[in-house]
Amino acid sequence: MSRVENRLNATLAKRRWKPAATPLRRRLVLLEMLGAVAGCVGGYLLFIDPVRRFEVTLASRIIDLLGVDRVSGALGDGFVVFGPNLEPVVAEMTGSCSILSSVLALAALAVVALRQRPQALAGFLAAAVFVLAANQVRLLGSLLTGRYFAVDALVFFHDWIGAVLNFAYTLIGLLIMIGLTMYDAQRAEQDRTGRHTADRPAAWARPGLGHRVPVEDTREPGVQITAVVYRRILPKAVSRRLARRREQRRIDYRVGHETPARRAEIIRELAGKGLGVHTATLLAVASYETDPLVLDTLAGVVAARQWEPIAGGDVIALRLWARAWLMRAPRQRSVAETGRLVAVTGAGGPAGVAVVKALQAAGDHVLALDADPDAVGLRLAGRGAVLPRADHPGYAEALLAVLDEHRPAALICTVAEEYAALAPLISAMDERGVRTWLPDPATAERCLDKVAFARTMHAAGIPHPATAWTPATVGLVPGPWVVKPARGRGSRDVILVDDPAALGHAFASVPGAIAQTRVTGREFTADALVGPDGTLLACVPRWRDETRGGTSVRGTTFTSVAVTETVAATLRAVGLTGPANVQGFVGDSGNVTVVEVNPRFSGGLPLTLAAGADVVGAYLAAVLDPSAPLPTLGFQPGVRMARHFAEVYYAADGTPVPDPLDPVTCSVPDFPAATPGVPSPSAPGSGPASLQTPSPVRAEHSDPAGSVAANGPAAYRVPGELLAAAR
Amino acid sequence: MTGRGRRRAVSPHHRLGLLAHLAVFAVTVAVLGLDSTLGWIATVLNVVFLLFFFRHLGFAVAAARWTERDLDAPLVGAESFTPPVAVLVACKDEELVVDGMVAALLALDYPGSALTVVVVDDASTDGTGARLDAWSAADPRLRVLHRQPGAGGGKSGALNDALALVDHAQIAVIFDADHQPEPDVLRRLVRHFRDPKVGAVMGRCVVRNGVESSLASTIFIDYLSGYLVNEYGRQALFELPAYGGANCAVRTDLIRALGGWNPHTVTEDTDLTLRLLLDGRRVRYDPSAVDFEEAVLSSRRFWKQRYRWARGHQKCLRDYWRPILTTRHLSPMEKLETMLFLWVYHVPVLCGLGLLLIVLRAFGIGDQSAISMVSLSALLFAGPFTELAVGLVLGRVERRAVWMLIGFIPAFGMSILTATKAYLDGMWGTLYTWSKTARSGVT
Repeated sequence: MSRVENRLNATLAKRRWKPAATPLRRRLVLLEMLGAVAGCVGGYLLFIDPVRRFEVTLASRIIDLLGVDRVSGALGDGFVVFGPNLEPVVAEMTGSCSILSSVLALAALAVVALRQRPQALAGFLAAAVFVLAANQVRLLGSLLTGRYFAVDALVFFHDWIGAVLNFAYTLIGLLIMIGLTMYDAQRAEQDRTGRHTADRPAAWARPGLGHRVPVEDTREPGVQITAVVYRRILPKAVSRRLARRREQRRIDYRVGHETPARRAEIIRELAGKGLGVHTATLLAVASYETDPLVLDTLAGVVAARQWEPIAGGDVIALRLWARAWLMRAPRQRSVAETGRLVAVTGAGGPAGVAVVKALQAAGDHVLALDADPDAVGLRLAGRGAVLPRADHPGYAEALLAVLDEHRPAALICTVAEEYAALAPLISAMDERGVRTWLPDPATAERCLDKVAFARTMHAAGIPHPATAWTPATVGLVPGPWVVKPARGRGSRDVILVDDPAALGHAFASVPGAIAQTRVTGREFTADALVGPDGTLLACVPRWRDETRGGTSVRGTTFTSVAVTETVAATLRAVGLTGPANVQGFVGDSGNVTVVEVNPRFSGGLPLTLAAGADVVGAYLAAVLDPSAPLPTLGFQPGVRMARHFAEVYYAADGTPVPDPLDPVTCSVPDFPAATPGVPSPSAPGSGPASLQTPSPVRAEHSDPAGSVAANGPAAYRVPGELLAAAR
Repeated sequence: MTGRGRRRAVSPHHRLGLLAHLAVFAVTVAVLGLDSTLGWIATVLNVVFLLFFFRHLGFAVAAARWTERDLDAPLVGAESFTPPVAVLVACKDEELVVDGMVAALLALDYPGSALTVVVVDDASTDGTGARLDAWSAADPRLRVLHRQPGAGGGKSGALNDALALVDHAQIAVIFDADHQPEPDVLRRLVRHFRDPKVGAVMGRCVVRNGVESSLASTIFIDYLSGYLVNEYGRQALFELPAYGGANCAVRTDLIRALGGWNPHTVTEDTDLTLRLLLDGRRVRYDPSAVDFEEAVLSSRRFWKQRYRWARGHQKCLRDYWRPILTTRHLSPMEKLETMLFLWVYHVPVLCGLGLLLIVLRAFGIGDQSAISMVSLSALLFAGPFTELAVGLVLGRVERRAVWMLIGFIPAFGMSILTATKAYLDGMWGTLYTWSKTARSGVT
């Protein structure tokens, strides 16, 4: 064993005798209490004589002021009192008559238990003054009793009534001191009955500080001493400075009330001043925040400011938190089950699958419904049933039988063509306790029928490609063209025509065809959710970077005022409520053209969900409680999606067959840290990727239109802010 | 596991002990005279009060220093550590509060596959059973066990029956019928079981109906100091917090090995705390694992509740003082603290005795104590008041609540009477069974 190792072992052996944390805490508290006792005893021995003399002098002067004769404090540490019969008595001012023991006890308590409270000194001084005044009353009462009644009465009053008074005023002094160190009603978190009054969001509240019930403030507005001091007495500059400090302390109350997007903005702003300036608020965010997007933002800004000199221990704590957040391991998703069963139609389509998975992720049980017995959604959901196609005469009966059997709480339809078949069944479903929310049939028809849709768009003045639906007018539409069925979905029977000579043939070969001018530019889909009152709750535009079979397989979310306004205008024109996806193009000059609207969730829905807009959850909430206020959903722009195939295996009888490639745990794609070793594209060469801004997905596309906002993980938009004028 | 924590048979009365106290007093009076004897008793009382004053002051100092940060501290690993948990609740005639309780239990944030909720309808004569059945029909996560009248054992018996239903659960979390836990309470309680030495974890109970009566708001403040200061201080300074009977978790294998909850006591929580300590396990306390409960609203109910607590707690001292003093699982300092903890409900009895001595002294009977009687009277209140005051500050209660502390003076007076009656009844062996606390169900 080397000499260094020997030394290490010897040191470790010595350290074994070092007390554990609990005895150390005990020792610390014991020392504090011993210090307090020593302070009381020492203070008493040191100051008892001067304090006694001071109290005697003070009482004598008050007696003089009152004009009472035959009582004198000339002895210095006692009084000479002549009773009613002029018999003299010397009333000595003993230690127990003095306030010193009470004041020292209050001081000791303030030091050991309240020293961390900013108003402890003021509280102690106020209590000491009160105790002094009360003891003077006690002394004067004793002396006057002796002067006017009898000497024995003086002794009785002082020893017995005085002892009770002593106890009472010491207790009240303690209450005064405590009261002044407590929080005023504005900064307190609960009232005297235990109701939560700070109005913090649940996630940001300190646990157990108040029961959350509505609290009405019935107090009459009184004179606020602090307000008077601030407004009338202090100089304006000092008052403003103190107000700023006070607001700074309260900032974490306010941050918690904001939307996630706004919280992220505030965090960037606060951290931008330096991590040492608003460290307490940033630590509060790290402690209380539950939104992964906001936490990503915090970790990102902390990681970006590693050049800063460390301002204190809290900044180190913040950096340790950020390191752990960025390095966090993939975790098992654990969501509390809601106990609800939700039926989803069209469970075989991409939209249906996305809705099924979104509901399961939120803790709901799913009853998958589809006409195809091999529809993949039937394998993904906990329960499944095969129904006839919606245009089959037995559809209604079969559906109601399934609902009778399973009794789901709600039904979500992901196939717009089923709306017409479902609309007559709403009352029957209601009777079974199954809630649903379908768009108005005429509105849905206006979207599904591309001719009616084109008429609506043209009537509303919304940019829409020139459209012809009769052989006579098809020649009037400028080319190049796209020929497609007036009622169709999923790019079926869509023909692109460049040669005018081929247009007629194409038009004739597609059943129920329409011909439109082919729009150029960059194709987008905007997933939207419109509330029952017509409010646009969510609008998540995403580029359709690559599509297969009409479904986006690569995409990127983006923000654009022009696109959002056009989408809002389109949905308003058709009068649609509920889920919708609006497809269109952004031209080279930034002009936005809408091509079609599908009154349902889209096949690219997973990207919208991944960007943070839980349109499925909000829609289900509206289905279950139509009167409930729905939140406006924000999203993160610049999130990209690359789709891949996934497999589900099952035997001929439907029994699941284990997936040999299924990992033991699955990671939650809440924007994990960038892959280690792969430099962030936004900051090449500026350090390890794990220390970069955590969102790995960045917009690589340049803004094709002047009105399209800059993409990036930091930009986080809420449609409500953009659409204030559009509503 | 030594098995020392298993339930033990104890004498139903201690009349000989009571007689011995009187005999010692009579002999001392005969030898020293009445005045001198009373003077010595007063001195001994003052020493005891001094000891308890510094114990309470120590808790207040510890809480003032560390509690607030503990409430703010972020959780570590609560998402990833989710052993199977069974939530057990015993209900008897609780129809006023059972809906709120079940709704809160079904809203608990814990993986569904690792959570079982069992509510025992202990032969209720009101609509409790029907309400529970309706909840169970609506949500299959809830299991209801109906006990027959005369099944016996009170709350302990009901919990033991419920425990038999949950073989797979590693942790049992107990609530009372009037409790409404916060959604994250399971994760906060369970996280402490990473340490194999931990046998049970206690959460913090908060009064939710302080608005209903002035007594309830007084009890709200009492709970603030009891949990944020006293229980916290016991953990910070001695690692000896108490398992409290509701909003607390215990290892199922351990409680089974210890013979289940003790049906022969009315404070099965203190009883279990001691059995865990004697078995070499530890109880932890988590001030951030919060649930809300109802306080009693009238003096009569307050009296019944505190009498039950005093009676059960005093019985625990009589049952366990010998094994505590001899166990090898506790250090001398921990033994001292455990004995002081068990003496807590005897201190009001001594306070009553002290006040009697003061009155006798006023009439010239009894010598002066070696320590001033004024100090005695101050110490009667100083320790608890310090705890209450620190509790108010830590609870961030609005300033005007401080004047409610005056209401504790009559409450102390009542506790002197309840504890004294419980002491005399317990020593004499008066029959006493579980006394159910009435609810209001308003909040």
